Amino acid sequence: MTHLIEIKGLTKTFNTGADNVEALRGIDLTIDEGEIFGVIGLSGAGKSTFIRCLNRLETPSSGQVLVAGRDLTTLSRAELLEARRSMGMIFQSFNLLSSRNVWANVAFPLQMDGRPKAFIRQRVAELLEMVGLTDKAKAYPSQLSGGQKQRVGIARSLANSPTILLCDEATSSLDPQTTSSILSLIEDLKERLSLTVVLITHEMKVITEICDRVAVMENGQIVETGRVIDVFTSPKHPTSKSFVEVVLSNTDHFLEKGYQPKGLLVRIGYIGPTVIEPLVYTLIKKFNVETNILQAHIDHIKGTPYGTLLLDLSGQKSSVDNALDYLRNCEVNLEVFNVANPR
Amino acid sequence: MLLTPVKWTMVQTASLQSLYMVSLSTLITSLLGIPLGVLLVITRRRHICQNRTINFILGLVVNATRSIPFPIFIVFVIPVTRFIVGTSIGPTAVIVPLTLAAVVFMARLTETSLLEVPFGVIEAAQAAGATRWQIIIHVLLAEAKPGLIMAVTITTITLISYSAMAGAVGGGGLGDLSIRYGYQRYQTDIMWVTVILLLLVVQGVQNLGDYLVRRISHR
Repeated sequence: MTHLIEIKGLTKTFNTGADNVEALRGIDLTIDEGEIFGVIGLSGAGKSTFIRCLNRLETPSSGQVLVAGRDLTTLSRAELLEARRSMGMIFQSFNLLSSRNVWANVAFPLQMDGRPKAFIRQRVAELLEMVGLTDKAKAYPSQLSGGQKQRVGIARSLANSPTILLCDEATSSLDPQTTSSILSLIEDLKERLSLTVVLITHEMKVITEICDRVAVMENGQIVETGRVIDVFTSPKHPTSKSFVEVVLSNTDHFLEKGYQPKGLLVRIGYIGPTVIEPLVYTLIKKFNVETNILQAHIDHIKGTPYGTLLLDLSGQKSSVDNALDYLRNCEVNLEVFNVANPR
Repeated sequence: MLLTPVKWTMVQTASLQSLYMVSLSTLITSLLGIPLGVLLVITRRRHICQNRTINFILGLVVNATRSIPFPIFIVFVIPVTRFIVGTSIGPTAVIVPLTLAAVVFMARLTETSLLEVPFGVIEAAQAAGATRWQIIIHVLLAEAKPGLIMAVTITTITLISYSAMAGAVGGGGLGDLSIRYGYQRYQTDIMWVTVILLLLVVQGVQNLGDYLVRRISHR
């Protein structure tokens, strides 16, 4: 697997007069060609600074950013402009030119690159077609909806046929439906144009919907990286857990609401085509354990089914212990909660 | 209120002098003030040509110039006026202090309207591989166009009133006429005519500016 983007020991410190703000404190990361890589973090985690270092809108304080083997941090100004043209970027606030209509916004990067007029006309028509805005060519940004503005942003970002698309909270100001349509457009364009996508977001939904891998960022550092399905079903770091729990129902809340388990509280997480019903059936039938399903969640991440079950197991201690042994041998993630002192 | 033919001729001459002073100084002011305003913006912290020294010096010069009351400023720059025009009296000479004072005013107005362009839009242009020069022309100035037209309008109106003050020190024009005849010789009719003329011109300039802004603004 080729690493298209390689980030080594990246730091960024902002000197704001009196005190220095360390936005990035040593990031090491590799992003592979053709993947959709998501960085999730709360605001202030440094993800915005991180993505701006990838096309040097922000100059790193130290470290390397290698894109296709070239270190961006050492490029001259002219080389940097060239490198930037191989990367498209879209933004949370779209950042369209209000003085230009849709057509001229999409044409902007091509005009700045000095392309011939005939080429620009043909390319812009292609791009508008790609994002489904051919009929809006003459409209001004102020006349468009948020989703349409982002489509213009996407068309503009792809004008110079880049290989990398950077998405800076691209759907954060859109409603859930528009978010989904923009995400599927990005996914679709990624396939058609063989792009590599790097996105930052604070919404777990964006990660689970289109990302292959995810990095969880906190306080200028990456606290967890992995395949989305893995991080999502068995998050290791507390921050990752809190992001996952926004999407899944939160066990802590369940207990805080005063639920008194009858027996042992366990959470089972499973990935892939594990069939869960026989499992519950076995618990009841074979181990004679009273199995109360408190919560069940089943969904898909990029086509892979996953689920979590929150069970209250009660019965004879030996039966419950046998049941736990059985569960431990199954292909599931098992989490047993201490009832007297819930997590 | 009818004026004698002699007085009409005086009003006409003064009007043409005013028109000459204001239009020429507006032109030069815009040509110098807008670039100065661009410099004030792009040399700011974290902007596209960050340069603390240049920004500080420019800011200082602009503030110093703006802090001197205009009638004093006219006298203060007489050596400069003599150097450029050869004399310090008459409409052409007045253009020098008018322009110098208005350039810094224009620069500040330009700065304000350029700062209204969201930085994200500049970032988007940078990300698209635009050069700094392209960003200035195609993003900063293009996006701020309505604000810049407003700035030129306000500067023109300020120059109209400054040019009237300049009349007091031998500049000629409507201001000079109204002070020498309308005030010092108690010819109230002249005073009225000049005031009404100035009022109409200011109103006309403002309306023209508003109209242009409405036509080109797409915000």
